[in-house]
Amino acid sequence: MRVRHVALLALLAAAPVYAHHNFRAEFDINAPFTVTGTVTKVEWTNPHTWFYLDVKDAQGVVANWAMEMGSPNALMRAGWKRTSMNAGDVVAVDGYKAWEKKNTGNARSVTLTKTGQKLFAASSAGK
Amino acid sequence: MTRAFGAALTLLIAGTASGQWLGYPAKNIPRNPDGTPNLSAPAPRPTAGRPDLSGVWQPAADPGDAAGGIEGIVAPKYQINVMRDLQGAVPFQPWAQKLFDQRQANKMRDNPMIQCLPAGVPRLDAYIHPYKIVQAPDLIVILYESETMFRQIFTDGRSHPTDPEPSWLGYSVGKWQGDTLVVETIGFNDKTWLDGLGHPHSDAMKLTERFRRRDFGHMDIEITIDDPKAYTKPIRYVQPQILQPDNELIEYVCNENAKPVG
Repeated sequence: MRVRHVALLALLAAAPVYAHHNFRAEFDINAPFTVTGTVTKVEWTNPHTWFYLDVKDAQGVVANWAMEMGSPNALMRAGWKRTSMNAGDVVAVDGYKAWEKKNTGNARSVTLTKTGQKLFAASSAGK
Repeated sequence: MTRAFGAALTLLIAGTASGQWLGYPAKNIPRNPDGTPNLSAPAPRPTAGRPDLSGVWQPAADPGDAAGGIEGIVAPKYQINVMRDLQGAVPFQPWAQKLFDQRQANKMRDNPMIQCLPAGVPRLDAYIHPYKIVQAPDLIVILYESETMFRQIFTDGRSHPTDPEPSWLGYSVGKWQGDTLVVETIGFNDKTWLDGLGHPHSDAMKLTERFRRRDFGHMDIEITIDDPKAYTKPIRYVQPQILQPDNELIEYVCNENAKPVG
């Protein structure tokens, strides 16, 4: 009991905490990924912001990925707006893959390829 | 670029960075000479000599934890596990242990918050969402950003209702003991979790929250969960709270786009 508790806590401690759900139930902290693609849609909505991007693989096949982020409320408090990222932007995304759903991830960082600007990063850590 | 243009640009960026009323400099916040909020100033006490708890607050980040997520947010100490300080085993009643184990085996997928149901209390006392306390002479209102919910704490001397209808936030009455507001709450349903791990409670839970505003920017909530149907001993912990100066509540309508992934 106690051992399992500790193992769970270690996993949870490493996971994003803003989520209204349990990160671990949905995403695999041991399955990080990096993809680059063109944003097709942004859903600036509670409880989580979602955005979608077309990613081309090595064979040239395009797949549309779904990416989850924090709530707009948390992002606004970090200084961001609904217009900070827009359809057509080319972005590089680091994140963690969903356990089951294909081409779905939780975004850990988003970088605007054109300028190298990191979008949605905290303006001041620990605020 | 001229200096004036640079200043205008800075203002513009600062202006567009705030959403709704975020960043509006509230007039009742004590400030340092440079304009930053002075969170160590004395707590205000305009109400018959008692401290005024009014303000936008948030459970304080656990200083022993690391930042996670894209916004670099640190969780409050008891967001995930209210039992973390216990020496020895959690004093579960057998059914509560069984239910807790089921929730673990299910990777906590039945967390009510995934279905956009209220987190309830005491979970909100240690959850990252902000809340606003509005203190009136006979009533204290807590506006929770989480699910855009309200909670009323009656300080007019009334007792708890008899055989109340079970509810998500229960029925709260408060009284002052010196500078501490002691809030007792009963009449809960059993649908909320105590924390992120899914420690359960029963509809017999009696919750005591002792609010003590240490200074302008810091408040402790000492939480005692007395629920003999679920636990053989009361559970007690203290979750510090930190004022959110120049911050404001934002609407939070979870159902607008909830899509569980797991």
